[in-house]
Amino acid sequence: GIPIRTTLDNSTTVQYAGLLHQLTMKARSTVRDIDPQNDLTFLRIRSKKHEIMVAPDKNYLLIVIQN
Amino acid sequence: KSCQTGKISTVDSAAQSHTSRDAGVQTDQSKDALQDFQQEVQVDYTSLLSFLQGVEDAVIKELNKNWKSRAFDGFEVNWTDQNETVLCLHTLAYPAAQDQALQVTSVSWNATGSVVACSYGRLDSGDWSTEKSYVCTWNLDRRGLNPQRPDLVVDVPSSVMCLAFHPSQPSLIAGGLFSGELVVWDTSRTEDPVSWRTGITDDTHTDPVYQVDWLPDAKHGNHARLLSVSTDGKILVWREERDGRLALAEGFAVVAQQIPRITQLKKFTWGEAAVGVTSLSFSHFDPHVFVVGVEGGYSLKCSTAAEAPALHRTGSSLPLRAPAELAFSPHAGPVYSVSCSPFHRHVLGIDAGAARRARNLFLSCGTDGQVHLHSILQTQPLLSLQLSKKYLFCVRWSPVRPLVFAAASGEGNCNEWFCFIGDVHLFDLEKSPQKPALSLKQAAGECPVYCLEFNIKQPRLLAAGDATGTVKVWQLSSDFTEQGPREMNHLEQLASETTD
Repeated sequence: GIPIRTTLDNSTTVQYAGLLHQLTMKARSTVRDIDPQNDLTFLRIRSKKHEIMVAPDKNYLLIVIQN
Repeated sequence: KSCQTGKISTVDSAAQSHTSRDAGVQTDQSKDALQDFQQEVQVDYTSLLSFLQGVEDAVIKELNKNWKSRAFDGFEVNWTDQNETVLCLHTLAYPAAQDQALQVTSVSWNATGSVVACSYGRLDSGDWSTEKSYVCTWNLDRRGLNPQRPDLVVDVPSSVMCLAFHPSQPSLIAGGLFSGELVVWDTSRTEDPVSWRTGITDDTHTDPVYQVDWLPDAKHGNHARLLSVSTDGKILVWREERDGRLALAEGFAVVAQQIPRITQLKKFTWGEAAVGVTSLSFSHFDPHVFVVGVEGGYSLKCSTAAEAPALHRTGSSLPLRAPAELAFSPHAGPVYSVSCSPFHRHVLGIDAGAARRARNLFLSCGTDGQVHLHSILQTQPLLSLQLSKKYLFCVRWSPVRPLVFAAASGEGNCNEWFCFIGDVHLFDLEKSPQKPALSLKQAAGECPVYCLEFNIKQPRLLAAGDATGTVKVWQLSSDFTEQGPREMNHLEQLASETTD
């Protein structure tokens, strides 16, 4: 995905955008494969250092990182 | 005559054409990616606005739930096998050096983390020695590693006091000699490994070089310049010349008169005396700032951007500058080692507040057996730990855990009640700031450990060199190598609670 607005530095933003876009697509296809009537609404990844939240949409992706 | 070919039967079998679909296409992240971002992206702001409005409530609800949540408290995932024990993986020695009763003066890991080098010399010889010494390297990843036979042995005509591998070229290693010279060896050359040397000129140090370091060159990316520190008070930066010589690029001299005064030092005599510098560490966040430890027992904050000329008497080809900006409160004996915390913004990514405070921390240790944790911003130490009554020769931060550091101890009178048994101590400020989390006995009996280095590429390995001429490579248990959750927050708390 192409970053539109960010509060982080450029290289980190581009890295997050690319990786999370792929992951979101994969998560969405996982949900829909299990149940075609279902769809992904929200994705949360919890790691040792922070929590990453992704709110997906047809055209946009909002990524929030919380400590 | 007729020619008849047999009937060739043909049959249409299935013809298959590929159906292809674009799966993810991944290109190397290049500068273009960044430029794309900076160009005006065609954005439909109204639809963006409606998206954000729709999603805002859900995200805020999740954020609030998260910081109040106790769902994951105490839940830790073990991705790798937990290794509880600390082992001594290798005990390396060069018998010829041990026969001459030489001690290990310095160890260094190379850029790839697979080769460890050690220098043999003497730390306790007071007079000008012309003893030969050695620099030995072992490649730990090679099969058939013989701990008694180094892969490479370099004979050096004078005692080598310190070593440093180049940070990106795995075969270059620099050493500082007792005579004040510097030599750079290229371990990939078998005939004559000497690549560059300073020789003895007016510019070289007049006292033994106690520390060498490679200074990353801001202009040239991979290129690094060599920096040397000696008890003659000079801190010199060298440039490689084509004929194998090292020429002086810039230099600093620490002179007692030019050190910013702090009240505790009033009783020391001032004058144009050179201040013996024993150790140096660069700050990881500001390439101009570095900390030096001096024989007088205090540490100094210095800057490479300093302009004032030094009041140094001996002539040299380039004018030397006075770098000292701030003097920290002293130890009760000479400082032998300083180390700046390697935790800076890129490592952490997001947590800028903790990073800012962690960047300012450094450790110093000396012959009084104490380790001081200082913030670069203030003269009084944040923490002062009395490790032992023995001299502390080296202190190093762990490259992976912000709260762990290791200290090497040795000689000196040891008060039985007070001594922590063991020679390499690992401290975990998260568990207990007063007692070491782990104490490793390097050898049977009283054996001072003079130097230690963490392996940055393989953070479980710690190399320590001692007075009997052996280098031990220790493998640490997983609690020393895996960062716990919220560890940076603890470090930040530690840094701020003691300054207030």
